[in-house]
Amino acid sequence: MTAPARRRALAAGSFRLLDGRRVRRPSMAPWMIMVLIAIVAFLGLVFARTSLDKSAFDLAELNKSIGEQVALNEQLRLEVARLENPARIAPLADELGLVVPTETQQLLVNLDAPSQLVAGLDRNGTSQ
Amino acid sequence: MPTADRAGKGSGRGRVALIGVVVIAAWLGMGYRLFEIQVVRAAELAQEGLSQRLVTKEMAPQRGKIFDRNGNLLAMTVDAQSLFAVPDQVTEPLWVAQQVGGLLSVDQDTLYHRLTSDSDFVYIKRQVDGVLAQQILDLGLDGVFAHPEPTRVYPAGTVASHVTGFVNIDGDGQEGLELVYDDELRGVPGHAEYERDRAGHVIPQGHTNIVPAIPGVDLVTTIDLPLQYQAQKATQKCVETTNAASCWAVVLDVETGEVLAMVGAPVFDPDTRQTLDPTCDDAEDPAACRAFSNFVIRGIYEPGSTEKMITVAAALQEGEVSVGTVIPEVSDELELLDGACRSGDDDVFGCYRDFDKHDTEDMTVRDIFTRSSNIGTIKIAEELGEPLLVDYIKGFGLGEKTGIDYSAEASGILRFDAGCQTCLASAAIGYSVAVTPLQMAAAYAAVGNDGVWNTPHIVRSKVDAEGETEIGGIETRKVVSPGTALLMRQLLASVVDDGTGRNAAVEGYRVGGKTGTANKLDENGRYTDITRASFVGMAPIDDPKVVVAVMVDAPDYDHRTGGLAAAPVFAEIMEQALHRLAVSPDDAQG
Repeated sequence: MTAPARRRALAAGSFRLLDGRRVRRPSMAPWMIMVLIAIVAFLGLVFARTSLDKSAFDLAELNKSIGEQVALNEQLRLEVARLENPARIAPLADELGLVVPTETQQLLVNLDAPSQLVAGLDRNGTSQ
Repeated sequence: MPTADRAGKGSGRGRVALIGVVVIAAWLGMGYRLFEIQVVRAAELAQEGLSQRLVTKEMAPQRGKIFDRNGNLLAMTVDAQSLFAVPDQVTEPLWVAQQVGGLLSVDQDTLYHRLTSDSDFVYIKRQVDGVLAQQILDLGLDGVFAHPEPTRVYPAGTVASHVTGFVNIDGDGQEGLELVYDDELRGVPGHAEYERDRAGHVIPQGHTNIVPAIPGVDLVTTIDLPLQYQAQKATQKCVETTNAASCWAVVLDVETGEVLAMVGAPVFDPDTRQTLDPTCDDAEDPAACRAFSNFVIRGIYEPGSTEKMITVAAALQEGEVSVGTVIPEVSDELELLDGACRSGDDDVFGCYRDFDKHDTEDMTVRDIFTRSSNIGTIKIAEELGEPLLVDYIKGFGLGEKTGIDYSAEASGILRFDAGCQTCLASAAIGYSVAVTPLQMAAAYAAVGNDGVWNTPHIVRSKVDAEGETEIGGIETRKVVSPGTALLMRQLLASVVDDGTGRNAAVEGYRVGGKTGTANKLDENGRYTDITRASFVGMAPIDDPKVVVAVMVDAPDYDHRTGGLAAAPVFAEIMEQALHRLAVSPDDAQG
């Protein structure tokens, strides 16, 4: 029943039947690739952003740590300076029986002497 | 039925259309709002949001350090914590006052009153050591908090306090180098602008603008800390042995004018900002008694015989006398104003006497200087004349500030009033002239430096991010010839060898110097028996390296002269200075 009706319609002259290849449906592959690229790019961006944020946190921690180390270094420097203060050392030296030299002891060294060891010093005047 | 169907279909399409219109209107409304927010008011709203997140914080610069010439720290700034309380939140003020007051050595009553006051904020104690502050915070006391605040510390303690000076609680220079170099030491503040979240954390990748603070410059001084300590010890010993009110000393490098040590006793504690003098408890004004002072630079006194060096040097330079010139008929008393000596009044206003009585005799210039004859020196000054004497006194730097890089230097006093009959005589022997110990040290250093006067200075170089910069522009001037300077050094040596300065001798070295003893004035302007004893000298005399000036204020009667009170201190300091500078003994130099 169907075929005669078509024929009738064609016979009416409104449409013509043309021979040719069947129209191919457009491929989804490029779109899929583009979407995939977009997703990967998005994920990459998120990853990069997260990494940057993490680096920023790490940097802040490092800066804080540097500040603490600098402060500690300064404290230690102060402690060394206090320990080196002559007003602290001199009484301790007194307790140990050390005295400030009152007479200058002059040691004359003949550096041109043939021996390398002269009066306890080498030729450069360095103490042995 | 078909009509009813059509009517039903028509009203259904109408509802759909209505819903569609509503949905479209809603979307349009949202679109409009979105457009308004994202486009029309975008900049305004973004700025508003940013301003809520944006914080600007000032970054305080680190105050510069102060070092001695060997790199020893004299002053530095370290982190500390300032403890404070919010009285409304303190639930047990008495308990807090007892706990915290005990740990911090703060008066508990005072603290209790602060904690129960109406204030919103009270300090418990500022600039507390971090460990101690944490200890207090760990007690978990309600309403007690801490915030970081840097504090200035002086590791050398009292040893270098008269050099460094100090800062106040807010870190502003108040005295000494801290005041003179305050602008350079304090640095330039920076600021940090950044975004933060509700919890106060920095938002990563947010807006940041950081202008770092520029730390203050470090100062490298000319002070030698071990020598400074030895000199201070010597002055403290002097105060104990002579019962003096104070003793001051300054050590100068002859060639450069560098101050190697500058000390005084009683000492000053830069941490408590008080002079450690037990006699201040009984003083009329204890606070004034304990205030900072540095007599070396600010104190003025009549130098007495130490100024004879200038009088004789001027006469030698001008050719008025030579070392061997005989000054005839030098008595032990000279009356310039009629009746002055008979009136029993003091020596200076018209009547002059030598310290030791002697017959009238002819004396050479050498004898006059060695025996410190006032009358002989006055006669030499009369040969020279007042204008020239004044020129030389000024040339040697008296009567004006030396220009040292230290706060509030005194210029001293020169009195040469028109028509004054005694001014020449008085000035020739160190009266009616007021000087600082530093001025005298610089004047003697000129003699040691072949007649060239150098501006004394304490800071050798400044260190900043760009490196170390030497201090330049040190003023020098020639005051006498090298020949005159040499003659004066010989005369100064004879004072120590054979004269009034024997106690200044240093074993192994030939020393030269001059004693000085001047009576102090009372509140009525009359001279008393109380003296200021001084000694200024140099060594080794053949090639001077160091000048030391010592001034002892009000020693007891047994130590009332420069030779008895100041010369031994000089010897002790000079010996240490020569050792520190590794100066070979004279006998070893052959």
